[in-house]
Amino acid sequence: MVVNSLNLLLSIIIATCLVILQETMSNIFWLISVDMPVSLGIFITTYFNNLFAMNLSGAIPLVALVAIGFLVAYLVTKIILRWVNISKSYAYALAGAAAILAIVLLMPLAFYNLDILAGGRSILGKSILTFFGLISGYYFGKSLEKQEVA
Amino acid sequence: MNRKIYIFLICFISLFAYSKDQNYKYETIADNLSHPWGIAVIDQNNFLFTELSGQLRIVEDGVLKPEPIKGTPKVLFAGQGGLSGIILDPNFNSNRKLYIAFSSPDSGKKTNTLEVVSAKLSSDSLVEVKTIFKASPSRKTAAHYGARMAFLDDGTLLVTSGDGFNYREQAQYLDNHYGKIIRINTDGTIPDENPFVSNENVKPEIWSYGHRNLQGITVVDGVVYENEHGPMGGDELNIAEPSKNYGWPAITYGKDYSGATISPFTEKEGMEQPIKYWVPSIAPSGMAFYDGPLFPEWAGSLLVSALVPGDVRRLKIDGSKVIQEEILFSDLGRIRDVATSPDGSILLATDGPNGKLIRVSK
Repeated sequence: MVVNSLNLLLSIIIATCLVILQETMSNIFWLISVDMPVSLGIFITTYFNNLFAMNLSGAIPLVALVAIGFLVAYLVTKIILRWVNISKSYAYALAGAAAILAIVLLMPLAFYNLDILAGGRSILGKSILTFFGLISGYYFGKSLEKQEVA
Repeated sequence: MNRKIYIFLICFISLFAYSKDQNYKYETIADNLSHPWGIAVIDQNNFLFTELSGQLRIVEDGVLKPEPIKGTPKVLFAGQGGLSGIILDPNFNSNRKLYIAFSSPDSGKKTNTLEVVSAKLSSDSLVEVKTIFKASPSRKTAAHYGARMAFLDDGTLLVTSGDGFNYREQAQYLDNHYGKIIRINTDGTIPDENPFVSNENVKPEIWSYGHRNLQGITVVDGVVYENEHGPMGGDELNIAEPSKNYGWPAITYGKDYSGATISPFTEKEGMEQPIKYWVPSIAPSGMAFYDGPLFPEWAGSLLVSALVPGDVRRLKIDGSKVIQEEILFSDLGRIRDVATSPDGSILLATDGPNGKLIRVSK
């Protein structure tokens, strides 16, 4: 139980960090495209600033949003897995992807079609974010499989 | 003993502060208004104002007419969109012409855009309604329209066009109207002297760029002042000039609503600095220049209405510097627009579904 909770927490943290990485990269790459003097140092500083600010001073703490999304998606997956026999790592990977995609698609509905996560405005951005959800979910599913083997 | 003297002094000073606040009085001209947005002053007892939900209202001889003006264009009333900016033609007294900016739904599509019409006020109707500007391309969002207007001394019309929120980067590119100040003639044609008119790849109406959501604009002795909302922090007051780039979103003093850094830069060569910025945000809305006789101590000041927490900022300007900021009317809630009347009184529109039109006088 404790290990599962720890892995759940880790998968939420992984997803949050990756979403913030995508948000940072999307802003920084555009700044580079308009000849702003972005250095590696500025990129790293911005990323770490975002890690704190997007969880502590934004309109909605990102980690809480991801946690809610993942908890719902993982719960539904756990129920489905009682009847469907597929690999847990794949099932939870899909759940993680669905959770992040739902966050990205549903948030604008609550804010007059405004994308609060700027990195998710384009189709490419949405795809990358969904892929990061997939990675985080895969980590969680794989950790469950490892526990079963042990 | 010292403590008693200290408390006495504070009470004594507070009395003076209170009496200073009482230097003016409020008179509610109209209430229960549906999101009043823009005010146009005809004379000291006659005003027109827009309600975001689509009505154009008129106050005649100090009394609100119960029926809205007929013939207003169809608007998209959603999010921040609706019937927004209004300005009278410089020759309104003879030609009865006015200009209205609003969010206009694209027929058969889920998109909309900023549109400006000219019209003639005839009794209780608008007639000869003609589109003179439509921002391009259209947007999916219902936010950040800008939609304020001002006349330059040469009679051309400046229109603020916001960045549409989701399209912020477009403010740096000149092939679209997001995040721009537009300059047009009152018949919708494009002045020959517009700064980018000779460049084929640029929208010829563009006058300045790199703006976010411009909510106030006024011209004083040929100087164009505009205020705009930043994101979280970074609201700006700028002196706008033709062809200049005001930097959004490449440089900003604000953060995104998610908390993310939009840009770590606050300045760059070739991009203009604001003459004032606010962190945290005050959400500046309308703007007017005060030179009336009623409050001589405020003469020569810019009045910037603000939505957060809700007040009017009186800004004393010296050249291109703000040398004094005073907070006024902070007991009225969110203020959407401010205008001055020829008698020196100040008109305020408070925001929301139960908005008010208030006159401040002595």
